[in-house]
Amino acid sequence: MKRYLAPITFAFFAILAGCSSTVPRELSSAREAYRRASTGHAARVAPAKLHVANQALAKAEVAYQDDPESYRARDLAYVAERKAELAEVAASIALAKKSKVDANNEYQSTQGKLVSETKQDLSETRNELAASERSGQRTAERLSEEQKARSAADERAASALAKLAAVKEDSRGTIITLSGSVLFASNRSTLLPDARTRLDQVAAVLLDTRERNIVIEGHTDSRGSDRSNLELSQQRADAVRNYLVQRDYQADRIQARGLGETQPVAGNTSAEGRANNRRVEIIIERESRTSSR
Amino acid sequence: MLLDNNRRFVVRSFSLSLIVGSLGCASAPLHTEGSSSSIRAAEEVGAAKVPRAGLHLQLAKEELQKAKRLEEEGEKEEASSMLMRSEADAELAVALSRDERERAEGRAAVEKVRQLRMNNRPSSGANPSSNEGGTL
Repeated sequence: MKRYLAPITFAFFAILAGCSSTVPRELSSAREAYRRASTGHAARVAPAKLHVANQALAKAEVAYQDDPESYRARDLAYVAERKAELAEVAASIALAKKSKVDANNEYQSTQGKLVSETKQDLSETRNELAASERSGQRTAERLSEEQKARSAADERAASALAKLAAVKEDSRGTIITLSGSVLFASNRSTLLPDARTRLDQVAAVLLDTRERNIVIEGHTDSRGSDRSNLELSQQRADAVRNYLVQRDYQADRIQARGLGETQPVAGNTSAEGRANNRRVEIIIERESRTSSR
Repeated sequence: MLLDNNRRFVVRSFSLSLIVGSLGCASAPLHTEGSSSSIRAAEEVGAAKVPRAGLHLQLAKEELQKAKRLEEEGEKEEASSMLMRSEADAELAVALSRDERERAEGRAAVEKVRQLRMNNRPSSGANPSSNEGGTL
């Protein structure tokens, strides 16, 4: 019933207005303002203010009926117009407040959701990190074990080699020196039968360290020409290399080079010194590298 | 006779009180407090800085001055009536200022939500120009 009150009142006064001759500008403005307010948000959001506006308009209409020309009728109509505008503004304020409250609630809700998601992400990241750390630890442990195993193999190899030939360490790695007279006949590059036995034993040790690169160097004494010594030393180094490759050592990890008489380890004036200079050195390098002949 | 005297006394007393009463009303000062305090309230909420509110504040002030002038001219009833206009305008100026503030705060709150969402948009969809996974 209440919702129909405003339009009925408005219609009533409109009829009254129709009967009158000249309606003051203030009153027609008040009627229009009230019509606007009562058909807008104010009816729903600010009914109390709209009611006040309705009463103010009724008062103005009565004053107008009493004396259409009176200043009082005009002033009351002016006030009624302001009251109607006030009702509209009150509705606008209420809607703005609601909008603000809704936005703040949405902000809180969104922020809460984001915090929750961030916590979830953080938790997942922590789990991933922990898993990664565990994996890293396992890898480190495995590498450490492999390192230990390699060191042990190196030690075993060095010990075994020491029993077969002269072994020494320098910056290049482990150097196994085999006497030339044990491996080859004089001025020949064909391996002697005994040499094969000795090289079999050396190869067995080398195969334990097959991931290392090997350099085989042939050396001669100073007798003969430089050229012939160089050729001979190269042929002998090649012979040893070929034999080790036959024994399953990776070919691309073995280099052979003849150095002739250029790197003596003893004087060439005595027979003993020359015998020491005639030699083949097998160098097991420290660093692994990809190599070919 | 005694009754007539008493009646005369009552009638005279009533007439006198009416005269005194009407004299009292005629000399009662104009009550501008309501209008003045509404104007002050409008000024305090910053009505002068809001265009529409500022207009009604100005009207309220002018109407107050007009009411005072009418009072000085002896038009007391007209002055009181004018004061109603002043008070209504001042009241509307206050409401319009509050409306402006509320709406500004509402807009700021909505913008805050928009910013929050924009700053936390999932990065996977952030670069629409990316060709990853597509064919060129």
